[in-house]
This record gives sequence, structure tokens and C-alpha cells, in this order.
Amino acid sequence: MPGMWWVVGAAVLVGLVAAYLVWTAGRVERLQTRAESAARALDAHLLRRAAAAAVLAERRSGVELYAAARIALDAGPREREAAENDLTRQLRSARLDPVDPECEAVIAASRRLALARQVHTDLVRDARAARGRPLVRLLRMGRGHDWPRYFDIDDPTLPAQADVAA
Amino acid sequence: MRIGIVCPYSFDVPGGVQNHVMDLAEALIGLGHEVSVLAPADEDAPLPPYVVSAGRAVPLPYNGSVARIAFGPVSTARVRRWLTRGDFDVLHVHEPLTLSLSMLAVLSARGPVVATFHTAMTRSRMLAAAQGALRIVLERITARIAVSALARKVQVEHMDGGAVEIPNGVTVARYAGAEPLPGWPGECDTGTGGAIGFLGRFTEPRKGFPILRDAFVALARQRPGLRLLVAGPGDADDLYGPVPADLRERVTFLGRVSEPEKARMLRSVHLYVAPNTGGESFGMILTEALAASTTVVASDLDAFRRVLDGGRAGCLFPTGDAVALRGVLAELLDDPARRAALTACGDQVVATFDWPVVARRVLEVYAAAIEATDGRVIDQEWVGLG
Repeated sequence: MPGMWWVVGAAVLVGLVAAYLVWTAGRVERLQTRAESAARALDAHLLRRAAAAAVLAERRSGVELYAAARIALDAGPREREAAENDLTRQLRSARLDPVDPECEAVIAASRRLALARQVHTDLVRDARAARGRPLVRLLRMGRGHDWPRYFDIDDPTLPAQADVAA
Repeated sequence: MRIGIVCPYSFDVPGGVQNHVMDLAEALIGLGHEVSVLAPADEDAPLPPYVVSAGRAVPLPYNGSVARIAFGPVSTARVRRWLTRGDFDVLHVHEPLTLSLSMLAVLSARGPVVATFHTAMTRSRMLAAAQGALRIVLERITARIAVSALARKVQVEHMDGGAVEIPNGVTVARYAGAEPLPGWPGECDTGTGGAIGFLGRFTEPRKGFPILRDAFVALARQRPGLRLLVAGPGDADDLYGPVPADLRERVTFLGRVSEPEKARMLRSVHLYVAPNTGGESFGMILTEALAASTTVVASDLDAFRRVLDGGRAGCLFPTGDAVALRGVLAELLDDPARRAALTACGDQVVATFDWPVVARRVLEVYAAAIEATDGRVIDQEWVGLG
């Protein structure tokens, strides 16, 4: 009975396609969730750096640094990238001695922030690539999430060595 | 922190990745973390207590050399069991794009995954052909580490992702405390004496040994007592053949050396020379020579200039120029004050490559990977960085 083979073949094919779709949907979901977690971690590290900078500015009565830290802490989503870059510039022009615990706190926070930014960028790229695939778009997979956004700031690492030499 | 590390290559054969994994594991244990290393190994091979064997490895030609790796259903089952038992906070795999335990571990992992890329393959056929399949592996990696600027460049250009550059570490204490070989380095006065060292495959053109040999032969004629100490795999006849007969007794050949012998060898010379003509992505041997407080003379390659802090921690000479090398050697051997200044700066530079320091930077990447997975921030103290 050749007809039955057609049925079996079609059933296997449908099964394979369904498995692929389920797997793809899971993949998109996983990458989206991960990009969102990375964004929360990045947010926390931005706040930590700004707080550490504010503490340092208060002790040194550095008005400009304090203002930059304050603006970064209060910035809304639209101005935030610019505000964080301003804070990076302020910190770069400040003299930071790694022996001093408050300076060290700022340097460490900047280093951790640099890592968080790097990881976030990579994970957002992965998530956007998965979401941008034609099949995923067609079936509107992952529509429960916003498109992951890049957070585009300059590398916040502070050149600690150079400052010590100066 | 509970850390699982996967090494793709068998510990039965020495190699750069294997040494890196062992030193990193020991440094992390030294910082108070729980570490388990999964690697292929023969059942009866003697292994450090923190290494778990994933069974025998099969030799497979890969990327121009033979790699001993494990791959297949049995290995997969072992990797899964190890992951379940270990219940790791973070999984750290090395070279995940080789068909190996590392790739299996990435595909089986549930939590945060950190991957270290060692090789700087600029254009690999495998990478180009399997882009789609590799995406699935790369996607599961949370954070990437590259051990050299070159390896990082490959990441950025060919696998569209960034990577944190963390250099190879060196266990400084192991080199600084090594005893020089008996009778070495000997006298070194103005115009006489001195010992020069070279380590590596002297028959391989890109290691540049002929450049050093020419410089040595020319200098040895004017400088009585100058000696050359060579170590590395190779045939003694190939080494002595091109050296004029009257100078052969001033060349000492050690053959292939073990790690402790390497440290002693580096302590036994006044000048260590790295005449490489290219193809070095990092220059591990330079950090080892610096750790041994030996003055380094190296060709002016990007990787070397980076390690030597632009020439402050060691002397650079134009790549491939035997005449210039001869001049630099003569000058340095006559100037103990200059050598002392270079090694003093070298000590500072090598402190940043010391394993405990490097391991702390790796721990920060672990923290970043864990945070990116569950969205919470980890305290410096908890990571053991405090």
C-alpha cells in the first residue's frame, strides 16, 4: 500500500518540523531572557560606579565629579548613555591612586562595569541575531519581549597605571 | 565559588593549553575556590587530585599538529555526569570550537559558561564552513576570554563577538627561586665572558635561531669566553652543523627540558634572546624569562613589544637583523647597570602576569557571566577579590 507510506512520511516530516520549531522558539526565548538579565546586571554596575564616584567626589569636594555622578544616577533612559560617558570622562581626568580605598573602589567598579558592558553587548547581539531570522520573524516568536537594545557607551576602564606614574 | 574547568587536550602530552589549565586551577584553589578539571586521560595516568578523567583520548590531526581529544557518546555521558555531580556556579571551557570535551560541555551546560580562546587561527577552513553549527555553540557561551590581542582580533573579526583580553599567567615564584645550572652563568666582564640563552625548536624558521647563531658566531670571535646555552626539541647535529668547528665547544645543548629544568636554564644566562621572525601571538617564554629576572633581548614583533612594555622591560632589535642583534648583545654584556635597570622594570611587568593576579581577573569574568545569567550583582568579597 504505497498510500500508507505517504502518510507515514508526511507524519515524520511534520514531526521534524514541529521539533525544529519548538527548539527554535526555546532558543529565542532563552537568548531573550539572558539578554534581559545581562541588562539588569549592567544597570546595577552602572549604579555602583556612579555611587562609588559620588562617595569619592564628596570626600574630595570635587564639584564637577559629584555633578556628573549625580546626573548619571538620575538620568532617564534617553540621556543615560551620554551621562555615563560624561562620568567616564570626569573619572579619567581625576587623579586616582589605587592605594586609597575609595579610589580603588571606583577603579574596581569601573573594571567590573567594563566586563558587564562587554558581556551585555555580546548577549544582545546573540539575541537580536536569533530574533532577526526570517522564520522567527514570520512566526512572531519572542513577541512577549521587547527587542533587546544595545547600551552604547565608551569603554569605562580607567588607565590606573598611567595615573600612578603621573 | 564552585568552578568546573574543561581542558580539551589530554594531560598525557605536555602543551600550552594543558599548562594554562593546571596553573589556573591551582591559582584558583590557592584563592580558596573549589575547582574540578575535566580532561581526557588514560585510566592509569597519574593526575593531580582536582582532575577528573573523561576517558582515553584519540589522536586526531588538527590545525597542523596532532591533538589528542575525546568526542562521542561515551564522552558526552561522562561530561553530563561530571556537570551534574559538580553543580558548578560557573563552567569554564578552553578552546570550545574544537571537536572536543569542551564543545560537549558547552552544549550540555545549563548555567553560565565562560570560554577561553588560545589559538589565533586567522583563517580556518573549519570556521568558515561550519559558521551555522558554530553559532549554536557560541550562543551558549556567556563571556569570552582571549589570551592574546591576536586571539581577540580573530574573535572580533570572524565570530562577531567581543572578548576580554586576559594574558597567560606565569608562576613567578617557580622561576625566581630556581637554582642556576652548575657552572652557569659564569663570568661577564667588559669585552669577555657572558652567557646567552635560547629555548625552542631551533630548526623551525619562524623561531629565528639562525639569526641568533650568526650574531653569536660573529660576536664570539671578538669576545673570549662568550657561551651559548640552547634548549629545545631537535637533533644535536642540526644545531652544531652550521656552527664553525672552533666555536662548537662554546655552545651547550640541553635537548628537550622539563618545566623545572626550563626555569633553571633561564636563570643560567645573562641574556635570553627571542629572535622570532613572526607567528608569535603572545610570547609566553618572554614572561618566563622576566620571571627568572633574566635580561631579555627580543625581535621587534607586536606581541613582544607589548609584553616588554614597549622596550622598557627588555631590549628590542629589528626583526631578522643579525648584525643589529650582535650590536645589542655586545652592548648589554658590557653594561651590567643597564641590565639591572631592564630586569628591575621586568620584575614590575611580570608581576602583572603572576598567576594569582591573572586568576583574580578571570574571577571577575566569572562574576560577570554569573550576573548576566541571573541579573544580580555579586559582591567583590564573595568572588574572593575583596
